[in-house]
Amino acid sequence: MKKTQQIEAIMEVVRIVAGLAIAYLVALLILVAISKDPVFIVRQFILGPFSSPRRIGSIINLAVPFMLCGLSMCFMYAVNKFNLIGESIFMLAGCIITWVGLAIGNSLPMAVMVPLLLVIGAIVGAVLAFIPAIMDRKLNANVVVVSLMLNAVIAQLALYLLRYFMRDPGISFIGSYETPASMQLPMIFGKMRVGSGVIIALIFVVIVSILFYKTSFGWKMRIVGSNPKFATAVGLSTLGISFAAQLAGGALAGVAGATEIMNSYKRFQWTASTGHGFDGLLVAVLAKRNPILVPIGALFLAYVRIGADVVNTSGDIPNEFISVIQGIIILLVAAESFLSGFKNRLIYKSVQAEKESAKGSK
Amino acid sequence: MAEEVLRMQGITKIYPNGFMANKDVTFGIGANEIHALVGENGAGKTTLMKILFGMEDCQQGSIFINGKEERIANPLDAIAKGVGMVHQHFMLLPSLSVAENVTLGVEPMKNGLFDYEAAVKNTQEIADKYNFKVDATAKVSTLSVGQMQKVEILKALIKGAKILILDEPTAVLTPQETEELFEQLFNLRDSGVSVIFISHKLEEVMRICSKVTVLRHGECMGTYDTKDLDETKISRLMVGRDVVLKIEKEDPKPKEAILEIRNLKRFNSFGKAVIDGVTFTVHSGEVVGIAGVEGNGQSELSEVLAGLSDFASGDVILNGKSIKGLSVRQIRDKGMAYIAEDRMVEGVAGDMSIEMNIMADRFSKKNYKKNGMFVDARKIRKETQQLIKDFEISCDGPEQPVRMLSGGNIQKVVVAREFTSGANFILANQPTRGIDVGTAEMIRKTIVRKSREEGTCTVLISADLNEVLECSDRLLVMRKGKVVAAFPKANEVSEDTLGEYMLGIREMTPEQMEGLL
Amino acid sequence: MSIDIVAFLADAIKMATPLVFAALAALMTRQAGMFNMGVEGMILCSALGAVTGAHYLGGVWAGVLCGILTGVVTGLIIAFAHLTGKTDLYLTCIAFNLAATGGTVFIMYLLTGEKSTTSGAFRSYQIPNINIPILKDIPVLGRILSGQSLLTYIAVLSVWFVWFLLKRTRVGLRIRSVGENPKAAESVGISVTKIGYISFLLCGLFAGLSGTFLSMSWVTFFMKNMVNGRGYIGLSAQNMANGSPIGSALVSLLFGATTSLATTMKSQSNFPTEFLEMIPYLATIIAIVITSIYSINKKRRIERGGK
Repeated sequence: MKKTQQIEAIMEVVRIVAGLAIAYLVALLILVAISKDPVFIVRQFILGPFSSPRRIGSIINLAVPFMLCGLSMCFMYAVNKFNLIGESIFMLAGCIITWVGLAIGNSLPMAVMVPLLLVIGAIVGAVLAFIPAIMDRKLNANVVVVSLMLNAVIAQLALYLLRYFMRDPGISFIGSYETPASMQLPMIFGKMRVGSGVIIALIFVVIVSILFYKTSFGWKMRIVGSNPKFATAVGLSTLGISFAAQLAGGALAGVAGATEIMNSYKRFQWTASTGHGFDGLLVAVLAKRNPILVPIGALFLAYVRIGADVVNTSGDIPNEFISVIQGIIILLVAAESFLSGFKNRLIYKSVQAEKESAKGSK
Repeated sequence: MAEEVLRMQGITKIYPNGFMANKDVTFGIGANEIHALVGENGAGKTTLMKILFGMEDCQQGSIFINGKEERIANPLDAIAKGVGMVHQHFMLLPSLSVAENVTLGVEPMKNGLFDYEAAVKNTQEIADKYNFKVDATAKVSTLSVGQMQKVEILKALIKGAKILILDEPTAVLTPQETEELFEQLFNLRDSGVSVIFISHKLEEVMRICSKVTVLRHGECMGTYDTKDLDETKISRLMVGRDVVLKIEKEDPKPKEAILEIRNLKRFNSFGKAVIDGVTFTVHSGEVVGIAGVEGNGQSELSEVLAGLSDFASGDVILNGKSIKGLSVRQIRDKGMAYIAEDRMVEGVAGDMSIEMNIMADRFSKKNYKKNGMFVDARKIRKETQQLIKDFEISCDGPEQPVRMLSGGNIQKVVVAREFTSGANFILANQPTRGIDVGTAEMIRKTIVRKSREEGTCTVLISADLNEVLECSDRLLVMRKGKVVAAFPKANEVSEDTLGEYMLGIREMTPEQMEGLL
Repeated sequence: MSIDIVAFLADAIKMATPLVFAALAALMTRQAGMFNMGVEGMILCSALGAVTGAHYLGGVWAGVLCGILTGVVTGLIIAFAHLTGKTDLYLTCIAFNLAATGGTVFIMYLLTGEKSTTSGAFRSYQIPNINIPILKDIPVLGRILSGQSLLTYIAVLSVWFVWFLLKRTRVGLRIRSVGENPKAAESVGISVTKIGYISFLLCGLFAGLSGTFLSMSWVTFFMKNMVNGRGYIGLSAQNMANGSPIGSALVSLLFGATTSLATTMKSQSNFPTEFLEMIPYLATIIAIVITSIYSINKKRRIERGGK
């Protein structure tokens, strides 16, 4: 019995690693196939991200929104709702905290400003997530379609706010005025130029992990996600919990947007939605909806992305190819049948072996 | 005797979980014969028929059709060899027409297209041939249940079925529809189709079948001419205990009423009463058993009592308060514990740990929390470990996912939670189904012990006669959504008597049950 | 502000064309019981496939063929992941759409060195517009209905074709039976997996036409993310029409009109364009709300009637 559990756990890791390895291999094959100088390009893709402290710093900076969005999607995924509203929350929360920040100016110290803006981001996220969540709860409307449509609407709303309320006419591109220094998170780790946003992200990893595994709400959420009928029969309010989880996920997406603006930008300048919500889903899938594993998934994704960027700048390969790789990763990790035959054979063998040895000892 | 068209010889079927559903069953039917297959729930009738129809395989035994040995690997094989089956739950497509349903899989074609006119014509022809009155162009969703059944039978006939299996065909029919069905079965028989008729309704068996085969606990009790038997004799063959289980227990000392059910009614989505005016009271310190053939309202009653379903009228009073409109949480807080009929659906969350499953009903309560929102992990772990020990759950530890346990151990997880929730009303629905003897005994003894020592009141719904006769103090029998019999002492009821009430051969009057409800 | 009603209606029909195809694509899998969000990505791939085919093979019809082929291949990829690989269909589609968004840009860059549009590098081919003999001479109606793209008329025929396929052919009957009750279908020997693949193949056909229309008729080049939610809108349209081909086409027409309204208003007023851009999506959400409330009330009525 114990052995079965071990095999399952090991196979789960093997599956994810094998999925990543296959996807990575595909990436390398693409590079080899289309590059004029494949050896150099592959080297750049694998080692490039570690080639300077600055690039290592970029990996970490890029992993910050991935972590927070991954945590956000952990909530949605935990209760089995593919609510993708995080995509546009990320954008609008960034927009609104910039607006608030510009209005407040430098009158507040950073120690007050940053938490305040995070809270505002979270509120924006929860309010926006309320729409698809309530439609899911009360109208049984398809939460995926509704959230995707809302994403298109909200992205336009953010663009409107940017254009009409905070656009800096003095710059050549569409962007807001420069944000006050009190909301620009300072750099840490010297040469690596890592934004201190990573600290915020890690704090939330800890908070969400505690929430998932140590609080009664986290327990409820996981039970509802695992078997809603059972949850109802033992007296949990299944609809209410899955609703609340979606709001919490929305709030985190808001925090993610706010943190990203404060960590990596001096102006709000997103004119289209950024794809972070979907990246969050990828991270949550990689982390198997376990918030503790989210940083690993986020760092891996950031590493691959920076690798693609390096290849893009130093070679002839556009970084978009990485999105194909991401798709393959999700599919391989999510495919139930991927390696399941192998796993079942292993379990069968170990059970047989156990029976044999039991016979032998008698 | 007419020549034999089908013979199933020495069929043995063991399910992967070790349950032996058929034990060396031999069963044969002749041409032009309506042959009844009777037995209690779980006696192996449906399994036997699924083997014949290619939906299950068997470990031993062989099937002969018209004297020739055949291997039936799947339903297509069965259909090709002239076997047709009408399932208890209809396999129909409501949005399609009768003709489309009937011809699905053997669609007539013209110029590469589905020939709807031909489908209608073929359907109408075969319907006329056997004197079935259906409109081939009507949508199935507009039909009555009786007509839907005709469509099912036509589906089998159009594929050339010579042996027709009907799994409890009259369970869903009105008396008039049943009469019509019987007429049609006689027609079929006279035109050369052999019918296997699975039923619980003995008067119907006596009326239309010439032969009857009785199964009990997976074994064949023999094939008889119906003219040599009467209903009481069949009932004795069907209902019986292989091993009589004895549970030592003191006489109950019922005290105050804890659960009162008053004239409870509930309707299904077709507007049929599935609980039809049930009234009874359960007191502190007693176990009330509910016996009955499955599908007579026991599951629906259990859903209402567990708070999982609303009811139309009447009332359920638990510890002095009505449960009408209360959530499951509120009913549990009033003192209800629930051992669900299907443990993998409502009893556990398979992917979650043993600990979370055992604590699922209580971890959000105040005394299991610290600082308002955190679960008190230490206390929970300590109690889980204690419960694992108390209930002898064999596992690797509290963190192990429940789905890795054996059926008996999973049920121990369920009862470890429900028996220790502090409830004074335990609703146990099939608490020992499909689990090992040792665990079953532990669960039964605990139910009795809790009623004696802690004064809990228990409603025990079970299809297992041993269980219901030995564990219960009072015993009620449900049939067609009603309580049709009540006995003051369950262990003095003979299985023969019980069978007669379960199968509707006898029924008690309200006066006879006076004071026993 | 003056709006040319005739031009508006003609434009509405044009804007509805890709939506009608998208709705039909989604409808094919829905009839087999699968909610396929992947149409969005499938259309995007097909749009690129069409212009690429036209450019390299040098002809409009080669382009149309390549567009359709791309739709079919991408449909089969999703079908393989879901039906054979047993992945969750939602997750598969989300992953596929993500890959399609980046993948099309990637391939476009490899072929043209551009990352936003093929308009400079690829020769542009346009599917001819058709003037319908007698109809074109009828005053108002002629201007609205005649002179549309060939694919628009094919869309109208496709609606009839899908209806005919579902109602009058064996494969249509089997697709519907699998969607409605897979167990019943299986019990008479129909392979649910095989039918699933067939429905994805047909879905690919229409997704391909939708994409082809976008890149060879609406405009004559491919641009980054040019589908812009049309797949989802088509998906919602057939959902609201409850899987009826004609109903789906009518709802698509309505959504086409909202898109057209937004475009018209953009040129006619100084209302912030952002709000006009929202119109089709908001219209979809509102329509979802209305249909959901309607179906919930209907269900409640039946349950109450049961009591």
